[in-house]
Amino acid sequence: MAAIGQIAPRETGRETMERARARASLIPDLLVEAKRVANTVFSGWHGRRKRGIGENFWQFRPYSPGETMSRIDWRRSARDEGNIYVQDKEWQATHTVWLWVDESPSMLFKSELATVSKQSRALVLAFAMAELLARSGERVGWLGVTPAILSRNAADRLAEALILAPPVTEFPVKPDLGTHTDLIIFSDFLDPIETNRQRLTSLFKLGARGHIVEMIDPVEEVFPYSGRVEFNDPETGEKFTVGNAESLRSEYENEIAARSEALRQTAASLNWSTTKHHTDRLASEALAKLHMHLSERG
Amino acid sequence: MFGLPIAFATPWILTALLSLPVIWWLLRLTPPKPQAEVFPPTRILARLRDAEETPAQSPWWLTLLRLTLAGIIILAMAGPILNPQDQILQADGQTLVVMDDGWASAEDWENKRNTALAIADEAAASGSTVILESTTANRVWSGQPLSPDEAKDIIAASEPRPYEPDHAATAARISLIKQSTTPENIVFLSDGLNHTSTEELIAELEATDRNRQVFLPEPKTQFAVRTIRNEPTELTGEIARSRAAGNENIPVLALDEEGLVIARTTASFSGSEQITRFSIEEPLELRNQVTRIEVGNVSHAAAVQLLDEGNQRRLVGLISGEKFDQSQPLLSPLYYISRALEPFTDIRRSGDANVAASVRELINQRVSALVLADVGTLDEETSDRLATWVEEGGMLIRFAGPRLGGSVDRSLLPVDIRPGDRRLGGALSWETPKALAPFERNSPFFGLEPPKDVLVNKQLLALQEVALEEKTWAVLEDGTPLVTAEQLSAGWIVLFHVSSDAEWSNLPLSGTFVEMLRRTINLSRSGLGQNTQETEVSLPPLRVLNADGTFVPPDADVRPLILSKGVTKSVSQGNPPGFYGLSDGYEALNLFEGDSELAKLNASLLPLSFQREAYLSNKSFPLSVWLFVIAAVLLIADCIAMLWMAGGLKRISTKALQASASLLLVATVISVSPQESLAQETDVDIASVLKTRLAYVETGVETVDRISKAGLFGLTQFLTTRTALEPGEPIGLDVATDELSFYSLIYWPIDPNAPIPTPETMARVDAYMKEGGSILFDTRDQISGALGGTSASPAARTLQQILSGLDIPPLEPVPEDHVLTKSFYLLNEFPGRFAGGDLWVEVSQRDAEDEGRPVRVGDGVSSIMITSNDMAGAWAVDSNLRPLFPTIPPDPTQRNYAFRSGVNLMMYVLTGNYKSDQVHLPELLERLGQ
Repeated sequence: MAAIGQIAPRETGRETMERARARASLIPDLLVEAKRVANTVFSGWHGRRKRGIGENFWQFRPYSPGETMSRIDWRRSARDEGNIYVQDKEWQATHTVWLWVDESPSMLFKSELATVSKQSRALVLAFAMAELLARSGERVGWLGVTPAILSRNAADRLAEALILAPPVTEFPVKPDLGTHTDLIIFSDFLDPIETNRQRLTSLFKLGARGHIVEMIDPVEEVFPYSGRVEFNDPETGEKFTVGNAESLRSEYENEIAARSEALRQTAASLNWSTTKHHTDRLASEALAKLHMHLSERG
Repeated sequence: MFGLPIAFATPWILTALLSLPVIWWLLRLTPPKPQAEVFPPTRILARLRDAEETPAQSPWWLTLLRLTLAGIIILAMAGPILNPQDQILQADGQTLVVMDDGWASAEDWENKRNTALAIADEAAASGSTVILESTTANRVWSGQPLSPDEAKDIIAASEPRPYEPDHAATAARISLIKQSTTPENIVFLSDGLNHTSTEELIAELEATDRNRQVFLPEPKTQFAVRTIRNEPTELTGEIARSRAAGNENIPVLALDEEGLVIARTTASFSGSEQITRFSIEEPLELRNQVTRIEVGNVSHAAAVQLLDEGNQRRLVGLISGEKFDQSQPLLSPLYYISRALEPFTDIRRSGDANVAASVRELINQRVSALVLADVGTLDEETSDRLATWVEEGGMLIRFAGPRLGGSVDRSLLPVDIRPGDRRLGGALSWETPKALAPFERNSPFFGLEPPKDVLVNKQLLALQEVALEEKTWAVLEDGTPLVTAEQLSAGWIVLFHVSSDAEWSNLPLSGTFVEMLRRTINLSRSGLGQNTQETEVSLPPLRVLNADGTFVPPDADVRPLILSKGVTKSVSQGNPPGFYGLSDGYEALNLFEGDSELAKLNASLLPLSFQREAYLSNKSFPLSVWLFVIAAVLLIADCIAMLWMAGGLKRISTKALQASASLLLVATVISVSPQESLAQETDVDIASVLKTRLAYVETGVETVDRISKAGLFGLTQFLTTRTALEPGEPIGLDVATDELSFYSLIYWPIDPNAPIPTPETMARVDAYMKEGGSILFDTRDQISGALGGTSASPAARTLQQILSGLDIPPLEPVPEDHVLTKSFYLLNEFPGRFAGGDLWVEVSQRDAEDEGRPVRVGDGVSSIMITSNDMAGAWAVDSNLRPLFPTIPPDPTQRNYAFRSGVNLMMYVLTGNYKSDQVHLPELLERLGQ
C-alpha cells in the first residue's frame, strides 16, 4: 500500500552545477506560473491617488500660465477649441518588501491530497508576490540572498540569484532590513511554539512589518491515517509507531489548531498579519489575502 | 459419512484437520506490518502519546475466516465424492464388456461411457481384468484382457464412431476370446437397435453360463435419411424410423456448404409406417446449393445425407481478350455470357488482365468450362496448358472477335478458320444479315427453336474440310457454320463464330443463347462423377462426419476413398461418411446409401438369462473442485479484508483504475498500430499516383533514353503552358519491373540495338494495355523506311518482334474523322522530327449511321499507337526550353505541329471519346429549345 505522504524533491539548487541546472529549468516554470497568478490580482495598493511625479497618466487639467510649455498635451488641446490642457501624472513612490521562503526538509513534504509540495507552492507564492510588487514599482529583495532590487524584472532576477545561492534552511537571524520595510515569511512553522515566537520577535525588533504565510499540507490538518502506522519526521529523522492511528486523530487536530492559534496571536501581538495557506487550494487565494494585508498597510 | 451420500477418495488427509488449533494460535500471534508514513509534524504527535509497541491482534472474524479457509482446503484435498455408485457386477472376476459404439450410440454416449467406466471401477475394486470389445471393430478395444486402469483410460478416450455396428464380426471375435478365457461377467451395452445379425451376437453371448447383463437405452425412435434424388422440380428423399410410434411429424432441413439452412420441410409418419417420403420444392438454383439434408433435432450420422457435385452447378471461368472497362459493362464481351451463365453455373473471373496468368489461375481453380471471348494469340505455354486441360476433360468455349479473326494462331480451334471476318449486309456487300437455320439432329442444340429475330452481321468463316459437317453444331441459313465443336480426348473445344457481345450478331441478346450455353456447359464434366475408367481413383478425405453427424476434419485413421470401376462406394472401416476429394470437386459418402431399414431391438425376445439394466444416468459427483472454488473466494475475501483493515481500500481504487486504464490503452495502441504495408510501394510509385506524369520506356540505349527524357520534358512544358493539364516530371520506366498502371500513356521508342523484352515482360505490357493503358511506339525511322510498306527497316522488324507476343487488334492509320484529330487541336497529320509518317491506331467501328457526322463514334481509347516520326526528337528541349534537334525538313511550324500532336495524344488517352460525344452538343442544345 502506497504511503499517503512523501518527500518531494527539493525545488532549489545546491552547490553542484547539475542541481543548479535542474533548478534553472524549474524556476522559469515557477515564474511563469507566478506571473499567471499575479495577473489575476488587481495591483493597486501603491497607487498614491494624487498627482505627482510618476509615469502613469492621472488627469488632464487646463493649462495655467507660467507652467512650462513642455507639459502641454497638444493632442488633447487640439480637440478642444480655446482651451489648452496639461497632462498630470500619478504620483508614485517606492517601498521595500523582503521575501523569505523556508526550505527546510519538512517543507518538501507533499501528500497525495496536495498537488505540490509546500516548498514548491511557497516559491510560487513568493515569486508571484515579487512579480506583483515589481509591477507596481516596489523594491523587492530575498532575505539572505539578494539586496532589494528596483526593477520591472525583479522576479526574474530574484530567481537567478536563487539558482546560484544555496538553499536557505535556517531561519534568518538579524538580517539587514532597513526601516519601514515589509517582510513576508513563508514557512510551515513546525518548530516549537516558543522558538517561533523568539524568532518573530527578533525580526520585529529590527523594525520590519511582517506578514506570515503558514504553509500547510492538508494531510497535516485532517490526519487521514488509520491502522498501524510508523511516522517518520523528515527533519529530525524521529520515528514514532502507533497501533491504531485513528485514535490519535481528535487529539492531534486539537493540538494543531492550538498551535496555529498561538502563532496567530504571536503575530497579532506584533501587529503582523497571518495567512494560512493549504497546498491543495489555489495559490491565488493566498495571494489575494496577502495582497489584502499589504494594501491595508499601503 | 454423517448420513450424507459423501465418500472420500483419500480419507487420511482429513487428519490434517488436527493442525487447525496450531494454525489458530499462529494467526492470533502475527500482527500486521505497520504502514510507514512520512509525516513532518511527527514531533507534535510524539508529544501527544508514547509510542505503542504491543502488537495488534487480528480481529476474531479474520482468524475465523482463515481457519475456515484452511479447513476447506484440507477437505477438498481429501477428495469428497457425492452420490457414490451402486454395485453393477454380480461377481468378482474377469469381465467382458461388449459395447455398441456405432452411430446409434451417439446421442446418449455420455451415459454409456459412464456405465462402462463404472464397470471398470468395480473391476478395479475387485482387482480383476477387463476385456473390451466394440461392435464397430474399434482397434483400440482389442479384445485382450486389460488391467482396469488401462481399460478406464481407453473407455474415457473413446467416442462413438460413424459406422454401422457389425454384430456378425463381433460374434466371431467373441467366440475367439472364449476359446482362450472364460469371463465371469458378460456385459452387453446395446444401442437399442436390431442390426443385421444381432441375434447371432446375442446367441454367442448367451452360450456361457456366467452372469450375463444387457444394458438397454431408454426407448427412443431413431431416424435415418436415405435415397435422396434431385428430381426436375423437387428434391426427394426417404426417412426410416426404428419403431412404429404412431403418427409423427419430423422436421427435415436442407443446408448449404456453409451450414446455413436454405430449405426446410416436414416428413410425416402415420400409424405403423416405418418409412416415409419427403420432398423439398425449391428453385433449381437453391436446390443446387444443398450439400446436406438432415433430420432436425437429431444428432447422429445416419440422420444426415450428404449431396455431392453430381447435383451441383458447374464452375465456369471467363477470360476476355478485351481490356477491362468497368465503366461500360454493356460493351464488355463477357457481359452477355456471364448474364446467360449466372442462373445455372458458378462463374469465376480472374482478377488478372494477363491472359496467361488468368488461364493458369482458373485452371487451378478446377473450372469445368473455360470461356475465352475474343482471345487471339496465346503464348505457347498457355496453349499447351489449355490443350492438356481440355484433354483431361475440360470444356473450352471460344467466341470470335476482331482479335481472333486477326490472329495468326490457329491452335485450339475446332476448325480451321479464314483470316479476317465475313461481313454480311455492309455497304460493300449484296448480302443481307442471315438468320439461324434449324438445328440438326446430331447437334446438342437439337430441339431448340431457332429464334426468328436473330440476325448475324459478321462471322468467322471455317475453311472447308471433310469433317466440317460433323463438327458443326449450328449453321446459318446459307449453311455456313455458326457453332463448331471438336472432341479432344475427354474434353471439348467449342467455337462460336460470332462475337460474344451484340456487335456481330444479336444472338447474345436472345433466350436461345442462354439455352445453347446451358446445353454446351452440360456436356462438360461435372465434378468427378462415377468412375467409368479402368484405373482406380483415390480421393483424399475432405471433411468427414463424426457419429454426432457434425463435420470434423479427417483424423489420421481416415483413409482415402478408392473408387474402382463398377464398385459402389460404401462406408467402411477407415472410410467414415463425409466428403472425399478436393474442395473444388468432391464425392459424398453416406452411411445409408441404399434401402436400409431400422428396427428396434425387441427386449422381450432377449433370452431370459440376460439381466436387463438401464444405463447410469447421473454420475457420482466429485466435490473437490467446488470446495477449491469456495476456498479461492475466501482467499479473495481475506485479501480484501486485509486491505480494508490497513485503510488502503479507497486509496488503491483510483490508482488501480488508472493502472488498468493505462494497460488497456497500451494494448489498444499496440493492436491499432499500423502494420507493415505488404505491397512494396516505392516513393516513385506514390509520386506517380499523386500526379499525372508522362512516362517513357528505357530501352537501355543511353542516347535514345536521353532524347526520350528531353522530349517528354519538352512536351510536359508545352502541356503546362497551353492546357489545363500540368504533368509532373517525366519518368523513365523499366517495363520488366516497374509498376505501369499509374501512367495513361507510355512512350516507347524502338531501337534496333535495344534488347528484346522477355515474354514475361510482354505479358506485363499486355496486361497494362488490357487494363486501359496506351502505348505509343515510335520506330523513329520515317526517313529510312516507311512503316507498313514492304521494305521493313531494322526498327520496324524489332517492333514486329516485340509485338509478336502481344494480342494486337487490327490497326489502321488515323482516319480523317478520328477523335485524335480533334481531341484538343484540329490536326490532320501527326508529325514529329520527320513529317509524313502515319500514326497507326486500333481500327474503330464505323456504323452506317455515323455517315455525315464529323467524328466517328468509338468507345474506349486505342491501347496501341505506332508512329515512325520520332516524336520525342521534335519535342526534345534543353533546360532553357531551346529545341535540341532540327526538324526535317527544318520548319518551325512542323515542330509546333509535333507539340500539338503530343497534346492531342495526351488529351485522347486522358479523355477518350469525350470530344466525339461533344459533337452531338449542338443537336442536344437544339432539342432543349435553345
